[in-house]
Amino acid sequence: MSHPDKLIRKGLPKGHFKDVAVRFLLGGGTYFIVLIAALLFGKIIVDGAPVLFKAEAPFVDFDFLTAKNQTLHVFDDAQGTRHQLPASEYSEYLKKNEGKEIFNEQSYSYSGGGIAGPIVGTALLTVGSMIIALFFGVCAAIYLSEYAKQSPFIHAVRLAILNLAGIPSIVFGLFGFSVFVLAVPVITAAPSDRSLLVIPLLIGDYVMSFQGWNSSLMAGCATLACMILPVIITASEESLRAVPQGFRDASLAMGATRWQTIRKCVLPFSLPGILTSSLLSIARVAGETAPIMFTAAVAAKDDLPWQGLKSPFDLLSSQVQALPYHIYTLAARIPNSEYTQRAQFGSVFVFLLLVAFLSAGSMILRAKLRAKLKW
Amino acid sequence: MSQEEKTARPPGHRFQKRGLSFDGAIKYFFASNAGLTIVILILIIVFLLKEGLGFFPGYRRELEIYRVAGLEFVDISRKNLTAQEQLTSLLNRAYFAEINGKSAREIRRTQEASALFNAYTDQIGATRDLVVNNTQEGSHPNPQMMATLMANYEKQKTKALSSLPATPHLTESERAALIDSIRGRAVDATEDPPLVAKLAEEYAAAQQKHAEPLQAVRATIDTFESSGSELSGLISEMTETVTATKAKLSEADLLEKDRKTLLAAAASAKDPAEREKLTAEAHASLAEIPDTEGPIQLLLERRPACIEIHEKLRQAASGIPSQLPADFSQPEANRLLGVARKAWPVFLSDLGKTPAEINSWKHDKPVALTTAIGSFLTGKDWVTGGEWQDFYGILPLAAGSLMISIVALVIAIPTGIGAAIYVNQFASPWEQSTIKPVIEFIQAIPSVVLGFIGILVFGTVLRDLSMSDSLSWVPGFPIEERLNIFTAGCLLALMSIPTIFSLAEDAINNVPGAYAEASEALGASRIQTTFRVIIPAAFSGILAAILLGLGRVIGETMVVLLVAGNRIKIPDFTSGFGTFFQPAHTLTGIIAQELGEVPLGSVHYRALFVVGIALFAVVLAINATAHRFVNQMKH
Repeated sequence: MSHPDKLIRKGLPKGHFKDVAVRFLLGGGTYFIVLIAALLFGKIIVDGAPVLFKAEAPFVDFDFLTAKNQTLHVFDDAQGTRHQLPASEYSEYLKKNEGKEIFNEQSYSYSGGGIAGPIVGTALLTVGSMIIALFFGVCAAIYLSEYAKQSPFIHAVRLAILNLAGIPSIVFGLFGFSVFVLAVPVITAAPSDRSLLVIPLLIGDYVMSFQGWNSSLMAGCATLACMILPVIITASEESLRAVPQGFRDASLAMGATRWQTIRKCVLPFSLPGILTSSLLSIARVAGETAPIMFTAAVAAKDDLPWQGLKSPFDLLSSQVQALPYHIYTLAARIPNSEYTQRAQFGSVFVFLLLVAFLSAGSMILRAKLRAKLKW
Repeated sequence: MSQEEKTARPPGHRFQKRGLSFDGAIKYFFASNAGLTIVILILIIVFLLKEGLGFFPGYRRELEIYRVAGLEFVDISRKNLTAQEQLTSLLNRAYFAEINGKSAREIRRTQEASALFNAYTDQIGATRDLVVNNTQEGSHPNPQMMATLMANYEKQKTKALSSLPATPHLTESERAALIDSIRGRAVDATEDPPLVAKLAEEYAAAQQKHAEPLQAVRATIDTFESSGSELSGLISEMTETVTATKAKLSEADLLEKDRKTLLAAAASAKDPAEREKLTAEAHASLAEIPDTEGPIQLLLERRPACIEIHEKLRQAASGIPSQLPADFSQPEANRLLGVARKAWPVFLSDLGKTPAEINSWKHDKPVALTTAIGSFLTGKDWVTGGEWQDFYGILPLAAGSLMISIVALVIAIPTGIGAAIYVNQFASPWEQSTIKPVIEFIQAIPSVVLGFIGILVFGTVLRDLSMSDSLSWVPGFPIEERLNIFTAGCLLALMSIPTIFSLAEDAINNVPGAYAEASEALGASRIQTTFRVIIPAAFSGILAAILLGLGRVIGETMVVLLVAGNRIKIPDFTSGFGTFFQPAHTLTGIIAQELGEVPLGSVHYRALFVVGIALFAVVLAINATAHRFVNQMKH
């Protein structure tokens, strides 16, 4: 009986219309949000998908994903045919057609070629920061969940985590800039002028100079790691606490030490959960722009990060392109025209696809894990 | 678990002598990692303060130079001149609003005709140029090539003609005639189509006709406009002197700083010869203290003349309001006139106070540190990299952040909480399982993507929408700037809706089921139960959700940097609701925009860190309050 009050009273219940109106209003608002979200995704998909996908096999325009980013030159030749060439092909064209005139030439920076540089840079930044954040984050979570008792220290740690989680990303940008770019110690033979402090190491000419890592992949990773640390700690701690207490008690009863218990009986069971929730943090790290604007990202770079390096360490101390910063540049610095739309909507589409995969993957994995792990 | 178990240490274990077991070491290792969060938080605070606190002494010195060099003295008069110019511009705007309002029909028709013609020329421009260039330069162009070019041109022309914009104010026949005349144009025609020219003439005639009865007003405005010329002449004269003094003082400061660096280097140099050299260099670069007294005295001698000019201006200005018409026929013109009338007494009283200000100004009054702090907190200008004087006032940025947050919250609170109530209380299980992930997925959209959508799509759509006549009753429409407070607020609302939604939904979900059961047992309807029992019980949680949403909005950077319009000015509140359609700048945006360009260690650089401190403090306070509400809920 879905309407028990009908048994008692005939007709519509009192206040029925008010009831319907309120429901309609609330539901309308809810579906309005959903509609806006759908429109937003729709616009990006409609304009972005044709850049990445093609009608004929192999259906995906791999050039867009693997080519370097270049300036796009748009011009007419004497026959009135319109050419759109990225910088490298443009110079070839000029060489081949020497002496011929071209008309109506316009160039659009960042709009030609593909987005390999930003994709690779984002991947490097994400992987680097996740390695740092996962290491420190999981260790901190182990302490909080396995060792910690009520103490002023724990209280301070919890307060710090809570506060770190609320700090705006641009403040992390300021922090990363003043600490990792300008102040962390490096070991070098030739300290910079603006070094804060120089400590002689007594090995050759080497000194420890507090001069920072400059704007580099390393500084960007460290900044992002600091930003994501509270999220990782909270998620890992939740995952560790989900392991039943009985596991630990049994292990300790068998005479295992605390560390053996953690290593053999807690970590293996909580690791899938930790990794799943960190997938969501990866999506967040990949999407951040403000913290890397001054610490790692560069708008235009000719080489991929590993090209032209003398030692592998140069990779860490070089600037990289990054997808979010690339999108910022595309949106803020170049006009919107039919020639720049390919780069603009294509980049956004790829970026959104990436983030969507990461977050959807984490949601699905989490659901599966919850279903599987029943203690 | 709470009991610390003792494991037998193997004899001769390496930590045993120090009383530290292997397990204990591991525990401390983990503890140190947990402590890292505290270290990071402390580092953030320390470095923000380290860079930020140096700002105030530096700013104080800049203000001191500003005063000693006499720039402050000139600014007393400049302030009045600016006010006079603003009033003039208000009156001019009112005058033209009146004329244009009366000839609105002609304006629209002209605009539509030229918009149509421009849309056409934009599209065919490139191919047309090719044809024209080839016929002019090469006297014997290749006929085959010319044919291709002409074919291209014709093709482009057909395409352009088929996609012309709508012209609601032109009659059908007029539009057809216009299109015909465009179609029949020669390739190298340069004159406008006849209808465009005719409409432009009609427009000019209408303007003239409506300007006729307003001649007296025009004359009044012109008189007022010219009354400021004497003051502006005096100011530009004084400006030359004072900027020269300021430049000398700043240079002396730099030299002094260099000297100190050299002396410090000399003190730490190991080699005595090197030390000698550095010390000598330091002494050689000793800056001569620039003479400020002379120029200042010259400036002060001008006092009587300056006061006299102000008196004259005041007399000229006081008669103006009575000569202006009581009201105009166009509402926009009337509004502007009203604003001017309201500002007039303020302007006059400011002018009246000026002589006293000029007389009491002292160039040697010291600038206190509190003045620097106060003028940072209450300053109405954020002017950097200017030739005149840099001011670092946080008010325009705070106002921008606040206005954008207000717009975002006004949109996000009802929708976010409404959605939470709907999903939790009224939705079917199927709706629950679809709506929730969709809204949570919005949270995953990176903010730069939202900013991108705002700058490329939403801003343009909103402006085009505001142009339509059917919406002209909305205050503030049509929008002048594509990127403004409202656009940014809408996008930020979308960003904060998921936060508010999921936290509010949690709070509603956490209300014990017994409350609802008891209420329903008493015969309350579902709506009554929801709004009288469940919402009040979840109230503190919902408040926390709103506050955390606010924290997210204030701290957001990329959207506001891209979409808010980046104009550093306190919004002009006189335009009523239209204030929300003005561009603004924000606390977060200014850091992101300027940090990359400032010299390290400069006052400007430090000012950005102070803005960072302010932001940090505000967001922490908001979050702390939110968590207090969450804790309240638990009890």
